[in-house]
Amino acid sequence: MSEAELRTAVAGHRWLQSLRLRPDLVTPGLKPEAQLKAEEAALFDTLNLKGAHLLEIGAGNGAFSFAALRRGAARVLATDHLAWTLPGSDALSATQWAAHALGAGIEMSPLDPRELTPRFGSFHVVMATACFDQLFNPIQALRGMRSVTERVLLIETLQDGLADARPLMMGHGQVLPIGGPEGSWVFGWGPNLPLMTQLLTDLGFSRVLYRHHPTLGAARGLYAAFLPEAPDGLLEGFHTPWINVTSPQAA
Amino acid sequence: MAKPAALWYLRAMTLPDARISDAELLTRMQSFHWWHSIALRPGLTTLGGKSMEILAQEEDAFLAPFDLTGRSVVDVGAWNGAFSFAAKRRGAARVLATDSYTWNHPVWRGREAFELARAELGLDIEAKMIDPPDITEKLGLFDVVLFLGVFYHLYDPLDVLARMRRITRQLLLVETHQDLTNDARPGMVFYPSDILNQDATNWWGPNPALMLSLLLQLGFTRVFYRDHPTLGRARGVYAAFTPEVEDSLVRGFDSNWLDLDVPGAIEGLLTP
Ligand SMILES: C[S@@+](CC[C@H](N)C(=O)[O-])C[C@H]1O[C@@H](n2cnc3c(N)ncnc32)[C@H](O)[C@@H]1O
Repeated sequence: MSEAELRTAVAGHRWLQSLRLRPDLVTPGLKPEAQLKAEEAALFDTLNLKGAHLLEIGAGNGAFSFAALRRGAARVLATDHLAWTLPGSDALSATQWAAHALGAGIEMSPLDPRELTPRFGSFHVVMATACFDQLFNPIQALRGMRSVTERVLLIETLQDGLADARPLMMGHGQVLPIGGPEGSWVFGWGPNLPLMTQLLTDLGFSRVLYRHHPTLGAARGLYAAFLPEAPDGLLEGFHTPWINVTSPQAA
Repeated sequence: MAKPAALWYLRAMTLPDARISDAELLTRMQSFHWWHSIALRPGLTTLGGKSMEILAQEEDAFLAPFDLTGRSVVDVGAWNGAFSFAAKRRGAARVLATDSYTWNHPVWRGREAFELARAELGLDIEAKMIDPPDITEKLGLFDVVLFLGVFYHLYDPLDVLARMRRITRQLLLVETHQDLTNDARPGMVFYPSDILNQDATNWWGPNPALMLSLLLQLGFTRVFYRDHPTLGRARGVYAAFTPEVEDSLVRGFDSNWLDLDVPGAIEGLLTP
């Protein structure tokens, strides 16, 4: 791949994420590089990923999978559903170009998280960013993710209904640059913190940690949910502003 | 798992002349907890949690707007079968009653109660023990799908609503508990443990904006709405039509119903 070919490929794709492929070449993505970096630090500075097996759901252009590999993960499987499968989508091809340009040996596969079962295998870390935002059925998707998680599930999501103390989620639609040339309208949800805690607890996660989004505040939330099997040491890196929101039910 | 049908019932089915006495029928009626009040014989009505009067108003609200003659109907979550029986009496060619939770429940024993009513009413109705989350297109396609009082009992109602779409040929009727009804934005509230009406089988309260959004996304092209006939906005009734619906099924919906998929309809439901 020549530099000219790479630049042509970057120009020829629609990008969901702004990835720095060369010191002077950043893909023109929907999500800015600074936000991606802030989210990466907020999610991954907490954990030692050396040797870990990580599954990413809704990888988009793979920013977090590339980051996990840089941080020492032994196996990274990047997956996406709509953005990689809608007719006319070029996000998988874009991600393959990015992996090539970065020399990043990640696996890539289209995947609907609703279809995950333990037969798929298991991963120390399962993660999803912009999680509820783009899922018609987050209840089923979370169950799927849980079924392949060995230790910890990391989630970044849109939030809503924050003024209500009751667990709830609000529906949200948005047009994303995926699928046909006009993009696609994608439905998803903004859950509130009580709902996230409840759903994760119901799935058997025994400890749930939370923090606001590093740059966007409470409009988005970050969750780390641990299975009982996760060694206590895994929680050591979760400092302020992470807080323990484990439901009394789970204790 | 289906409980084996009681022997008396099989006999009653195969030998129509083996009619039991009123006293015997009363004894059998009283051995069950009923949800639906159903008149089995003159002077012999089951003592349901829902009264005859409320059921009559519900039947009128849910089933009167369209002509069931010759249609196929599935009643998902039929319990004692009042709406299955009503659909058959209103001329449906084929009626399938399905349920699982109350039919298998050791206290409700809904299947046995349903069988007693079915045999006594002598209505030609099929029954199938199946849990809504297990329903697939294998169940068949039905002109009319009744999904009454079930949505909010499901931990994952999104999955089951999608399943209901796949068995609907023309019209899906959804009746559900609601919440956030004064919010124009789509949303649903989750009820942990038994906080909604001290009933641990209640999970979600959606609002009309959400039901509209979900039904349209599942490929229904028109959605009508009305408040519950006796409980008002606390429960809502949705008539969702597939693109293949025959005009005759749509025409009879009167001014009690609101065309929900037109601009401003959701806002029109809000109280200032
Ligand atoms: C309120 S009753 C409604 C009965 C009838 N359709 C009516 O409208 O009068 C709820 C029905 O949902 C069924 N159901 C299905 N899944 C259920 C679940 N997970 N928990 C409780 N009930 C469930 C019950 O068996 C019961 O028949």
